[in-house]
Amino acid sequence: MNTERKFKHMSIVGLGRILMAGLALFVSAAYAQTTDRNSADAALVERVKDAVIKELRESGAIDREVDAGIGRYVERQRAEAAQRERRETDARAATFRPVAKGRDHIRGNPGAPVTLVEYSDFECPFCKSFHLTVKKVVDESKGQVKWVYRHFPLDEIHPVKARREAAASECAAELGGNDAFWKFADRFFELTPSNNKTDIDTVLPQIAREIGLDAAKFASCLASGRHDRRVEEDLQNAYATGGRGTPWSIIVSKSGKKYPLSGAQPYAAVKQLLDLALQDK
Amino acid sequence: MTRHLKNLRAAFGQVFAHPSYIALAGALAILAFLLAVWFPNLGLIGEIFSGSNAPLSAKLGIVLSLLGGIVTNFSLLSAGYTIAISALFGVTVAMIAYLLKQRRVAAAGQNIAIGSGAVVSGVLGIGCAACGTLILGAVLPSLGAAGALAALPLNGQEFGILSVALLLVSLLLISRSIAESNACPISRDAIGRHGTVD
Repeated sequence: MNTERKFKHMSIVGLGRILMAGLALFVSAAYAQTTDRNSADAALVERVKDAVIKELRESGAIDREVDAGIGRYVERQRAEAAQRERRETDARAATFRPVAKGRDHIRGNPGAPVTLVEYSDFECPFCKSFHLTVKKVVDESKGQVKWVYRHFPLDEIHPVKARREAAASECAAELGGNDAFWKFADRFFELTPSNNKTDIDTVLPQIAREIGLDAAKFASCLASGRHDRRVEEDLQNAYATGGRGTPWSIIVSKSGKKYPLSGAQPYAAVKQLLDLALQDK
Repeated sequence: MTRHLKNLRAAFGQVFAHPSYIALAGALAILAFLLAVWFPNLGLIGEIFSGSNAPLSAKLGIVLSLLGGIVTNFSLLSAGYTIAISALFGVTVAMIAYLLKQRRVAAAGQNIAIGSGAVVSGVLGIGCAACGTLILGAVLPSLGAAGALAALPLNGQEFGILSVALLLVSLLLISRSIAESNACPISRDAIGRHGTVD
């Protein structure tokens, strides 16, 4: 507090000294102008300049101004960098992750011109009914539509179980490949009641057994938590693409045009939308 | 309760004796219903009409088929309150319009306030019943209340039920304003002072 007051006092004194020196020089300059205007002009300007610079240096005002200027510049640069980073993050998040055969679970003809990417939650009853709708549409499409499944566990209303089931489906894929993943998903939706009422300790090993997976390896995979990150990545991508509830789907035409579809819409709507995507050039 | 029902019947008799108010209520109810069912896919509808080169009939076909979502994308409860909100909204607004036409602005104002609350509450409740309400699901996490929906026994559908209740209250109040406003009540004292009332 004292230092601050002293600093302010010194600044006022310094400023006063500068003003006094300037005033004295101005008076002497005015006087000089009346006596010998022609010869004194250049010398007078030089004298005023030197005196003001000397005063400014001695009072430390220049240093303080320079320091403050540098501080403001650094702050501005920092703010601009933060804003740039935010924009880049937003742009990255808004990007729909392209379908990759090595990473995604694909059902139907992998070379199909139209893709339905579904973000789904194993505990959502609407995902359960929509699973059958999409299965029917893809089966009937004669290789024109492929189906990609990504995870969108809604922790707020299906805590713990939805994520664990998503990880279990990844364990099925790890141990039995793409086919095992889809067998797991089909059987899971057949067997379970949804709305977080699934007895996961019984159902998950049961499905693993039924689809021919090694029970011990499946249990070990599930306990390891090694697919949790992938589930989280899918979830983040679902939000980034605009998903706010499940099932959330994006239909991608051959030209890359995207149609977002929210909810468990009826067969007729899904079929017509896929036909429209097939007609896109 | 009997008085409310009597008022309701009398108000309906007065307002819907005019076919124009029946048309207004019907149109608004249909509009509200369409908006509620299409609400989750307004982005898709925009995309279809602005970005696709498919024929118009194909585009309209998709938009109409999305109405089937009331069966596949709504639980019985949420479909029920969505239909009820739409119908009550149409009737309430038509009755408010009747009040305004009668220049009973003060009575209409009170009902507009309650009706607006009901509509806001109804919009909050829109969405997939078991898989996250669209607006609350998006807004609550950003308010740091991501778990709030799980704490509600019906996962946010409470707002839809609240909306129906508010619209019903609004409808009863407006019915009273319409039914009981044909004559100003005169107290017994006044009758006593002046003798008979002609």
